[in-house]
Amino acid sequence: MSTVTYKHKMAAHCESGAVTSLLNNAGLEITEPLVFGISSGIFFGYFHKMKSFAFPTFIVRNKPGSIRTNLAKRLGIKFHTEKFRSADTGMNRLDELLGKNIPVAIQVDFFYMDYLPEWERVHINVHFIVVVGKTGSRYIVSDSYFPKLVELESSSLRKARFAGGSMSPKGFLFYPEFIPKDIDYKKAILKGTKKACFNMLSIPIPFLGIKGIRKFARKITEWPSFARDIEHLSHEIMKINILLEDQGTGGAGFRFMYASFLQQASVILGKPEWSEKSKEMMEIGDGWRNISLFASRIGKNRELGPERLEELGTMLNSRADAEERFFRQLKNSI
Amino acid sequence: MKEKDGIIDCPQQQVILYVEKEDGKYEPMQTGSYITKNFLDDYELKRRHLEESLQKKVLSGEVSPIYYFMVLEDLTLSELASRAGFRKRKVKKHLEAACFQTLPVETLQLYADVFNISVKDLLKLLVKTTDESDNTKTGS
Repeated sequence: MSTVTYKHKMAAHCESGAVTSLLNNAGLEITEPLVFGISSGIFFGYFHKMKSFAFPTFIVRNKPGSIRTNLAKRLGIKFHTEKFRSADTGMNRLDELLGKNIPVAIQVDFFYMDYLPEWERVHINVHFIVVVGKTGSRYIVSDSYFPKLVELESSSLRKARFAGGSMSPKGFLFYPEFIPKDIDYKKAILKGTKKACFNMLSIPIPFLGIKGIRKFARKITEWPSFARDIEHLSHEIMKINILLEDQGTGGAGFRFMYASFLQQASVILGKPEWSEKSKEMMEIGDGWRNISLFASRIGKNRELGPERLEELGTMLNSRADAEERFFRQLKNSI
Repeated sequence: MKEKDGIIDCPQQQVILYVEKEDGKYEPMQTGSYITKNFLDDYELKRRHLEESLQKKVLSGEVSPIYYFMVLEDLTLSELASRAGFRKRKVKKHLEAACFQTLPVETLQLYADVFNISVKDLLKLLVKTTDESDNTKTGS
């Protein structure tokens, strides 16, 4: 149906990866950390009880979809977006765009990406992939989490695009429509950083930003009461590692990628002090990495008594302190 | 994190890690997943135990195969209801073994689609007697 000339590249995160890859293929040279930083991707949120989660959980990035919207707003890029009520219309529209050789990013339920190993796949409706072509009944997919282009059966893609549940994709698709010639990166970086500082320090909700890390540290000792048995608790504790490292974060819950953003921003802005900040962020990230390694170890050894969980809580509190200090200083340096 | 500390040999699952390269630049590196490399066997062991305990519950008539997959796939009642297109009240009934027996194939198909399995896989759980390693995802 269409010839594939799309340059695939693995990326740390699915949404920033899909946006970066679409823009790169459309001719705009921009890196994933810049996309992530400008769109104020760094975040923290802790959810102790929510009807869509079977267990307490946390997030380390901003709201799904806002990487695209924030970036578009700050760089002046226009993305064409569509949602569909009917699956047939949604699939036909995708075919039509592919027929015109337009690579399209779509929102899917991660669970149906059957080219990924089974242990990796969970029901989460906010995965983004780029569909770049079609051969017979199979779509050619560029997924940031997979080293090369892959094929996905049409029936799987259909289920993934029209899965129900919270944040259901409703066949959502987007592609860049307009990219301005002159982009003021300086202004965009400052705006993105300012918003990131606000998100981390000042949202008046007790489980978001730094307050979220503190709440996580406090509540982790209550996790055993949610678990069916020790193995369930061990699984959930080890998921801390997965959420921080494996689920598309670039390591340490996006902190490493944010350090890379600050390093690139310091050059663009001509602010050498931001280079120091990037080093500091890398160190903060090392602390998060230690948390994920610690969580996986105690989970594996089933050392899940109150002392160990309190130890984990202390480690989280030290991240909250470090990040609070960091974002206050960053805010003042804008 | 330094580049050398991030190198993990795990071809089954590759990830991107941002690391400090030798020239001091923070750049992406393709590497393996730490947890998959070191603890995949533990994950599989826990999954097998969970499957066995759920299977026992299904066979004893305590719960339906829909419950089995709901727990296995980490879905909440409201999430499953929304995905399958039923009211929560109805799904709660479907989780009971007695009600499950009366469900038409069309209803089972809706659940099977959510779990990405076939209706046969759902029904198979009712007659299985030996323990079986996880290989239920054959696609519908």
